[in-house]
Amino acid sequence: MSILAYNGGAIIAMKGKNCVAIAADRRFGVQAQTISCDFDKIFEMGPHLYLGLPGLATDTITVMERLRFRLNLYELKEDRKIHPKTFSSMISNLLYEKRFGPYFVEPIVAGLDPVTFEPFVCNMDLIGCPNEPEDFVVGGTCTEQLYGMCEVLYEPNLEPDDLFETVSQALVNACDRDAISGWGAIVYIIEKDKVTIRHLKTRMD
Amino acid sequence: MALLGGYSAGSFPDYEVQGAKKVHFSPYADNGGSVMAIAGEDYAIIAADSRLSTGFSIFTREQQKLFPLSNTTVLGCSGCWCDTLTLTRILQARMQMYKHEHHKELTTPATAQMLSTMLYYKRFFPYYISNILAGLDENGKGCVYSYDPIGHCERSNFRAGGSAGALLQPLLDNQIGYQNQEGVDKTPLPQDRALAILKDVFISAAERDIYTGDGIFINIITKDGIKADKFDLRKD
Amino acid sequence: MASERYSFSLTTFSPSGKLVQIEYALAAVSAGAPSVGIKASNGVVLATENKHKSILYDEHSVNKVEMVTKHIGMIYSGMGPDYRLLVKQARKIAQQYLLVYQEPIPTAQLVQRVAMLMQEYTQSGGVRPFGVSLLICGWDNDKPYLFQCDPSGAYYAWKATAMGKNHINGKTFLEKRYSEDLELDDAVHTAILTLKEGFEGQMTADNIEVGICDANGFRRLHPSNVKDYLANIP
Repeated sequence: MSILAYNGGAIIAMKGKNCVAIAADRRFGVQAQTISCDFDKIFEMGPHLYLGLPGLATDTITVMERLRFRLNLYELKEDRKIHPKTFSSMISNLLYEKRFGPYFVEPIVAGLDPVTFEPFVCNMDLIGCPNEPEDFVVGGTCTEQLYGMCEVLYEPNLEPDDLFETVSQALVNACDRDAISGWGAIVYIIEKDKVTIRHLKTRMD
Repeated sequence: MALLGGYSAGSFPDYEVQGAKKVHFSPYADNGGSVMAIAGEDYAIIAADSRLSTGFSIFTREQQKLFPLSNTTVLGCSGCWCDTLTLTRILQARMQMYKHEHHKELTTPATAQMLSTMLYYKRFFPYYISNILAGLDENGKGCVYSYDPIGHCERSNFRAGGSAGALLQPLLDNQIGYQNQEGVDKTPLPQDRALAILKDVFISAAERDIYTGDGIFINIITKDGIKADKFDLRKD
Repeated sequence: MASERYSFSLTTFSPSGKLVQIEYALAAVSAGAPSVGIKASNGVVLATENKHKSILYDEHSVNKVEMVTKHIGMIYSGMGPDYRLLVKQARKIAQQYLLVYQEPIPTAQLVQRVAMLMQEYTQSGGVRPFGVSLLICGWDNDKPYLFQCDPSGAYYAWKATAMGKNHINGKTFLEKRYSEDLELDDAVHTAILTLKEGFEGQMTADNIEVGICDANGFRRLHPSNVKDYLANIP
């Protein structure tokens, strides 16, 4: 079995109208055994910038900490907020440095541009090959299910509330067909002047 | 000899000995394809995409993967195409034999049971097929049976299988099974709505799954017989 | 590194608290060819003297105005060879930044990093400080930028400045001529006039060099363009 599927987990990010959503399940397990239901895979990297790190849990934490280190230095050195696109390049660079002994995470970035507040989503593979589509990105152990859900449920320019509903339905139903994802979920809706965090109750089996 | 012991044989071509040559053969091929079926109160719909492929190459864009076994039963197959051909021919023969011996058609649930037995018979050299059987039961109610390659059988009201099975199934759970939806009245699914959902999800599957595409063949099974239909998907 | 174990810094404090090596470096700058930089409302201009001792010299094959990235350029007063090394390092720094962030380096960032490099040469073992001061100009986020980098590693942001020989007179001249809403064309004109203050001999398109930077990026002016500007000077 792939190391990427050792702990399980699923993340999704989707663009809306002047807003963007990122959501993840909360399971932390070791193969089929669930250890806890309050594990965070999404991290706040700035006021409008969120990072999701599905994959091997130990690398989720390590990569998040190493990125926070680089990000803090960047923001001190340059005395400005990072753009989501620049942050994605930073992640890509960090991952490619470990090209032949990679971190087993497939990062997802969601955020708004600090200047124009343009929505942004991006994902990449474990060695940092970036992908920036104009609709949604998914990652984790049930990407197939997530793609199937998103491809049907997604529509452009959703308002924040509708975006929340779409993202939640996509995530929860995809997780229900994956044995190692689920056990609760968390959804972030990022808007220009507020970020709404909602916890979802899901089936726990 | 001790001196040579440390070296691999390859670095001394003059001393190489002709050994036994191993030739690799795999009895299975993955020819892709997706099947989906929905059962309603008095109907069953089954559909399969029409692409037959191996890896990145497409054999044909119009392969029928639905096999009507009787007036009330249709089997949809995807996976290893040669196994599909063999299995369906034996199945059709068994259907014929039943008809001749008993002077009546095999019912859908009975066909489902027979298929399970036939698959398990090949437990240690299975047919590499993802089977979905749709039809009407003895009471004229729609039914769908899905299988794993070695004959595990489950009856349900909707099922997706094959290469895009993982993409389609959660959608059906949500849209037809009303999973994770609050405050919906679970009225029986009308036929036109089932057909619309089916087309929608196949279009979506074709977006992301390269083994699914080109078109879908649809069979609508009612008490009046089987109505065949066709629908185009993206061809790239 | 083992070879560095006994290589002590040459730049050490004098009892009065001064680093005389840096003062000598600044002296080398002050003795060097004059250079000028002016920020205009729609761009920046850099100009420097490029005089040759012999008429046999091939004028336009070695340049003092150099591009670092598409939107950043620099000139210097002081020692040519030291400048070449800094240009090379600046270009490398800019490309490294682009590689990591997929975004052109902001001028302020480049200046900071070049200044850090120059500072390293005041404290490392076995090396001497650079004998140059740099003028680095750039254009990002629809704004012009002009910086000066000294051998000590100190850097300054200017609206307009002069370095090298006669820099005191040059600055006084600029203080009188500078205004905030200068257009780039006027700035080029002013820069050339500043150089002309205390210019020995006849100023031609062959013995000065001009670089400009605006929304279209940085470029070195062709001698024929410089000639047009010179034609407007009495």
